[in-house]
Amino acid sequence: MYWKYCIRRIIYGFAIFVILIFIFSALFNATMENTLRSRIEEEIHTETMRLDTRMTPEELTRYIAERREFKQRLYHLDKPTWSRIFWRAFNVLSLDFGKATIMRSSSGEADVWIIIAECIPRTILLFTTAIFINIILGLWLGLKKAQRAGSLMDKTTSIGTMIVYGMPSWWLGMLVIMFFAYTVKIFPSGGLHSVPPPTGFAYYIDLYYHMTLPVLTLVAIGFWGSAFLIRNIVLGILQEDYIMAARTRGIPERKVLYGHAMRTAAPPIVTMALLSLLASVGGNIIFEGIFSWPGLGNLYWIAIEQNDIPVLMGNLFITTALYMGGLVILDLIYGFLDPRIKVGGKQ
Amino acid sequence: MKWIDFKAGVQDFWNEFKRVKFGLFGLILLFIFILTVFINPYIVPFPEASIRWRDITYWEDNPVSAPPAWVNWFSSTKRAPSLIMEEHVFSEEKMGKIKLSRAVFKYEYSYDLPPLDVIFHGYAIGSPVIMLSIERPDGHIIELVRRPISKSDGKEVRVSIGKDSRIESYNFGAKFENLEGNRIEREMVKPTSVLFSEAKEGILVYPSPLKGTYKLIAEIILPSENDVVEDIYFTFSGGVSGWLGTDSSKRDIWSGVVAGVKWALLIGLLTAFTAVSIGVTYGVMSAYLGGWKDSLMQRIFELFLGVPLLPVLIVMSAIFKPNIWIMILMMSCFFWVGPVKTVRSMGLQIKEETYIEAAQAFGASSSRIIFKHMVPLLIPYAFASMALYVPSAIVYESSISLLGLGDSTIVTWGQILHDALTGGAVLNGLWWWVIPPGLFIALMGMTFAFIGFAMDNILHPKLRTR
Repeated sequence: MYWKYCIRRIIYGFAIFVILIFIFSALFNATMENTLRSRIEEEIHTETMRLDTRMTPEELTRYIAERREFKQRLYHLDKPTWSRIFWRAFNVLSLDFGKATIMRSSSGEADVWIIIAECIPRTILLFTTAIFINIILGLWLGLKKAQRAGSLMDKTTSIGTMIVYGMPSWWLGMLVIMFFAYTVKIFPSGGLHSVPPPTGFAYYIDLYYHMTLPVLTLVAIGFWGSAFLIRNIVLGILQEDYIMAARTRGIPERKVLYGHAMRTAAPPIVTMALLSLLASVGGNIIFEGIFSWPGLGNLYWIAIEQNDIPVLMGNLFITTALYMGGLVILDLIYGFLDPRIKVGGKQ
Repeated sequence: MKWIDFKAGVQDFWNEFKRVKFGLFGLILLFIFILTVFINPYIVPFPEASIRWRDITYWEDNPVSAPPAWVNWFSSTKRAPSLIMEEHVFSEEKMGKIKLSRAVFKYEYSYDLPPLDVIFHGYAIGSPVIMLSIERPDGHIIELVRRPISKSDGKEVRVSIGKDSRIESYNFGAKFENLEGNRIEREMVKPTSVLFSEAKEGILVYPSPLKGTYKLIAEIILPSENDVVEDIYFTFSGGVSGWLGTDSSKRDIWSGVVAGVKWALLIGLLTAFTAVSIGVTYGVMSAYLGGWKDSLMQRIFELFLGVPLLPVLIVMSAIFKPNIWIMILMMSCFFWVGPVKTVRSMGLQIKEETYIEAAQAFGASSSRIIFKHMVPLLIPYAFASMALYVPSAIVYESSISLLGLGDSTIVTWGQILHDALTGGAVLNGLWWWVIPPGLFIALMGMTFAFIGFAMDNILHPKLRTR
């Protein structure tokens, strides 16, 4: 039964992704074609440079025209607009994003997919670590707040949540760099690792050392919100009748909290954790640029700076794919934790 | 819902709201923000900052990357602050057809580091000659600049003592300096540091400040009767400047930050209002219509839900280069999904109420039921979520501006931070350029968070603390 639910959800998620890709292709069609056309011209130019110089000018123009026509047919540029949009979306879905105009991957390749693929794990590493620490701290504080709801501690920390509510994490990042990297020089100002990177075990130490500052910044802003949400979730549960019943039975408060309330609170808390991870991708990704953390967010900065449209587009498609994937996984986990969901529908 | 019911509802809500202290605090902050928009010209030294932010001539009298003036309070070496001096003693003398006017400006100098530049301003018609000199507290009078103006039919005159009196001030300093053996490059000597230093050996190399009252004298020769020089004043570009200092393009940050308030309010409120209105209407419609319409609307909603907002906004801004209005529209297009889920579930409950059934029995149209009987019940919720969407809208706009994709005809906090980032403010520790814009974003977010959370508190009594 759960498997049926899983498969249905995955297919559904993929369908939405395909539709989104079509919409993006249609929306950005003109720009993408412009870059494609100028690339074709460039390719033809390099080809003619390598040609036999004994060609007459007429022959040369004919040759160029032929090559142009051939290339345009190759990239479906001679077809009507809707079919070009279709082919572009099809290419994206088969992970063919074309070649970058300026940017290169760390191994020097121009293939957009390779450039993006090497960034994905870095983004995931940074944000999952931050969210993980976030949730641990949020649980610790949120449970305390829920237990003593209305106390001074609860109130002041709630005010803390509101204070950081609209604070941009990248701004805090700038301040943190200014202080910890340039004034008190105890952390590196950015990057993934030192140059040249150390080998063996030291590599990981170095990586964590570089990760400390961005993760600290994300946690410093994020955990207030998670603590507040966890407090609300747990507080709502603590007011249920069965908690009252457990208390009247004389079960110790600790056991009520961790045994009874937490079991019910687990699904929404897991959802919240995943949702905040998704929110990081959807709203916080350029944070990486401040710390020059070479992930997907930093790629947006560089692609915009160098006006590299293929990379920008490819990055958008991959971010959307990750985001959709996250939403699907969220539903799958939720369905696993909360049996009521998967029964829903017609079954 | 009649007007009187509405009024009573608002009154009830206000009575509840009054009891939430941080909500009131948020309202006060919001009021202050709105007030700054209206009194903007009276609290900033550069009231045209909003429209001339990228006009370099508007800022040319300011120093480059100067810290705020109040830094002097915490520092042992006091730097002369920037200021505009208009007050002067004016006298006129007639010699035949020629008129000689003389304006004396008094400058009290009690700092350790001199201003970087002193600039004369005036508006000249005809062919006057402007002569500037300075009388020091020790009695020395130095003639600085002689600037003839040829046949102007009205133009701004700007004479920079720091640039145009290099020779004169050098010569003055050289009188006290033992120049044999060590040559001092004239280009290395700053005129203002000579003029405001004690006249003794070392004035060119290690100047020590001469405190006291200086007289800046502007003598103007007006050769014919139609010649005029008016609106004369001096500007001092100091080592420290204004409330929040200046950036590397000489712009006054306080003026910029205050100019950003109105744009932030506009972006936040307009986006939140549009998005929540669409979202609430959409959710209620979906709930009320039901059946295949509900399914279709939910599918469309899920399609929008799958869009990673910031990446899409970044790419759209990079490609379409929108102005601020299009940007607000774009954000509204994606923000509306936020309230839909909650509103739909609330709508499903309201739909079952008997008065909806009664309205249907009377033959009321769907649109009448939705807008007259269902949406008004959701207004409190709509306002609460509106308040909580304002900060997100502001942060999203700032994030896009931070990447340098903002509307370049206005000034927003994100754009100031973009300039700070590209201008090396973080690297060089120009904290007065980095902290204020972000702090204002955070403050604005906090304001609306206070208001929104307070409303939320009233709407969800279950979570209210015992």
